[in-house]
Amino acid sequence: MFKLLKKLTGRKQKLNRINLKDTLEDQSNQKDQSVSRQIDVNIERIKKIYQIPDNKDVKVREFRIGGNGKRIAIFFISSITDVRTVEDSAIKPLLQETDMDAEIDKILSTQNVTAISEIKEVVTNINTGNAVIFADYETKAYAFECANFQGRSVERAENEVLVKGSKEALTEKVIVNLSLIRKRIKNESLIAESVTISERSRNEVFMLYIRNVADDKLVGNIKNRLQNLDVDAIQNLSLLEQYIEERRLSLFPSILYSERPDRAASFLEDGHIILLMDNSPDALILPATFWSFFHTPEEHYLRFFFGNFVRFIRVIAMFITIFTSAIYIAVTSFHAEMIPADLLLAIAGSREKVPFPIFFEILLMEAAFELIREAGLRVPNPMGPTIGIVGALILGQAAVEANIISPIVIIVVALSGLTSFTISDISLNYALRIIRFLFILSAGLFGIVGMTSLFAVGIFYLVSLKSFGVPYLAPMTPNYLSSGDTIFRRVITHEKFRPGYLKPTDMKKKSNGAVR
Amino acid sequence: MKLKKICNICLVLLLLVNLAGCWDQKGLDRQVFVIGIGLDKAEEKGKVNVTYLIANPEVGSSQTASATDEPSFMTITMRASDFVSMRNNANVAIAREISYDLLSVILVSEEFAREKEFVRFLYTAEKDREIKRDIHLVVTKEKVKEFFGRNNPKFLKRPHKFYEFMIERGVEIGIIPDSELHHFFRVTEEDSNLFLSAFATTKIPSNKDNYRINESDAVAGDLKVKGDANNAQFLGSAVFLEGEMIGTMTGVETRIVMLLHDAIPVRDVLTTFQDPFSEDYQLAVRINQQKKSVVKMDLKAKPPRINVKLPLTIDVLTDPGMENPVENKKKVERLRSEFEKEMESKIMEVVRISQEEFKAEPFGWSLHARKEFKTLKEYMNFDWMKTYPDMKVKVDVDLRFGKFGRQPKTPSYKGIRD
Repeated sequence: MFKLLKKLTGRKQKLNRINLKDTLEDQSNQKDQSVSRQIDVNIERIKKIYQIPDNKDVKVREFRIGGNGKRIAIFFISSITDVRTVEDSAIKPLLQETDMDAEIDKILSTQNVTAISEIKEVVTNINTGNAVIFADYETKAYAFECANFQGRSVERAENEVLVKGSKEALTEKVIVNLSLIRKRIKNESLIAESVTISERSRNEVFMLYIRNVADDKLVGNIKNRLQNLDVDAIQNLSLLEQYIEERRLSLFPSILYSERPDRAASFLEDGHIILLMDNSPDALILPATFWSFFHTPEEHYLRFFFGNFVRFIRVIAMFITIFTSAIYIAVTSFHAEMIPADLLLAIAGSREKVPFPIFFEILLMEAAFELIREAGLRVPNPMGPTIGIVGALILGQAAVEANIISPIVIIVVALSGLTSFTISDISLNYALRIIRFLFILSAGLFGIVGMTSLFAVGIFYLVSLKSFGVPYLAPMTPNYLSSGDTIFRRVITHEKFRPGYLKPTDMKKKSNGAVR
Repeated sequence: MKLKKICNICLVLLLLVNLAGCWDQKGLDRQVFVIGIGLDKAEEKGKVNVTYLIANPEVGSSQTASATDEPSFMTITMRASDFVSMRNNANVAIAREISYDLLSVILVSEEFAREKEFVRFLYTAEKDREIKRDIHLVVTKEKVKEFFGRNNPKFLKRPHKFYEFMIERGVEIGIIPDSELHHFFRVTEEDSNLFLSAFATTKIPSNKDNYRINESDAVAGDLKVKGDANNAQFLGSAVFLEGEMIGTMTGVETRIVMLLHDAIPVRDVLTTFQDPFSEDYQLAVRINQQKKSVVKMDLKAKPPRINVKLPLTIDVLTDPGMENPVENKKKVERLRSEFEKEMESKIMEVVRISQEEFKAEPFGWSLHARKEFKTLKEYMNFDWMKTYPDMKVKVDVDLRFGKFGRQPKTPSYKGIRD
């Protein structure tokens, strides 16, 4: 009975497919053909695939070769091809050709011509901005490169701003990005492999590494992971990052995301692997350790003491960001004896007329700060964030005068909020801001005891984390041979080794680094 | 499956919140802070009159706290069995919870300190969790209640500041001893020394003009201070033996004890000595103790002997006789010998008082004595406290001259006056 029903329904589906001409199966059938000897068949097929003439920017030009009068058709998508190249190096020479026996790939004056015999490849070529030429009585089509995707030119880095050092940032065009990196590493062993990662959109990722430096196993592992993604489309690196990271629910990022080509190049030279992609004005650097999020390139560009001073400031800022609000809550509600007498009396005096408990007061202001920060980010003006923060402070002042918030809370929250900006990496920045709330919660519940236990648990977690097999806090713990660039950096001539946790094939960066 | 797991974790976390319960949590605005506790004798046995000195947090704290016309502190006196239970008793008159977090001084009236019972009440401080051991013990001549009432420091609005600075500076210049509570407990339990506590009063006899040769050679109350700085004086020390007050020491005597005591550094002693060159004048000197004193003992001798060598550096700051001692080696030597003689005689006087009057020593020499015995038992059998009054004590002052003022040489009086 059921079998019969199934058969019936199955038949019905099949019937439907035949009736409806433009099915998925039908479309892929069209693509699976090989190039026909009849030019008309080919033209029909491509026109059908691209829905010409409904599809406005897909162009076809039909004419005869000047010499032997052979029929020719050129297909390309005008919005992503350089039309000038098509005209000058294909249409013009073909029309002006006088030799009777000339073959097409000899006539074309482009940098390369590839002969293809499958419609599928034809389509891929057209989609990537190339032009494809069909000729009558030939089972081959000819494709030549003339892609010209529109995009920004190389601009200044906006999120990772440096005072000293290169100002270039990566752009949405992967070719430009590759060029920016190759400009910094002029070496034949810099390999840019391309891996196609999605089924439908055929997104292509460039995997960059330096042969003889990067660990082969690591390269193989990452390539494998990229090839085994089973998705229809991955638009850009920000999305790819979430597909390939190991712990998707972890607060801490495990892949470094940078928009600076100089940063990418220096990581490449240490033996890391870089992923580049079209439509992504940035590079993914992997594996990444906690320190790579904590650092900025400027600390190496600045001289030894200046760079380490900046690092020192940042460490302090990080602790202030996480702990001030929590410590304020813990100390004022559980451990009042820790506060110096004057401050204690000042806090008690200022709290006399305030309605809410300290925990709630801090939470209120922290939430207000985050709200204003988020809103300021969406203000369509580069001044937005600044205005937002100033607004927050003014708002706080008004709140104090209205006796809703005690003035010390404003100081505490403003301090912890503002110092969070010293962490320039966006992922770590978010992580710290969320962790701050966890600490506030634990301090509100258990005081310093709660904070210390949360901190201990947090450290356990950090130590257990791994990014593509590399411990998160390496090379500090576990200890690896490296150039010791963790909280502080060494004098540049003493940074002799590549990080050992990457297991680079060539460990030594320089013999002594000094002037020979 | 995963959802269930997350739900479970959330549930556990929620339970944790219940468990936490915030037992210890106290809002700062729900507490009042006691700066000083006063203990007075109560008529009933087993009771004590406790006086609280409570700071008003709104005075002098910030501009937004606007209660400037309120007084900066208040006092409350009640009879209680101890000052722990007093915390709740006082709530009949005070709205908020009473906190000892800022407690910085315990004052005891002389009358109560001389009681045998006194030590029973003070030991409560060892039990209470909030009372820190670095709180100072101060003995007042009058009842503490009256002391609090009359003490009205100028410029220092907040009471904790007054007590903190007053005691800190007094200890620094050596006119009152460093009478932290844990010293009291240590000395009392060690049972071989005298404990010195700071002595203070606001009861200044107005008719008595009791000037001494040396201005600090008096106890609080005996020094005439004119003007309207403050009614309270902190000077000299109350002497405790086995947790009971048995007498007083003047400021100078306290200084001498502190110079001889190794544990208490005295940094800034300004005092005067008789000018050996002209009888009418005195020389102002600053005494510095840069090295520890060397204590040598011969306890097998009968009577046992103690030799103390006290190295001091002395700066002579004035020269009213205009004798220019710095110019002349002989004069310097004479200064040295005169000073040493004067200091030694003063020191020996203090030693004599301790041996004859108090019958115990405040100098902390018993610690040095312990080294002389092989076992603790031998030391105990020796009975330091009993033996001390009969001991032969010798103190050698070893003076070194530092500076003779910023400009060592002064013109001679005759040269100016001719």
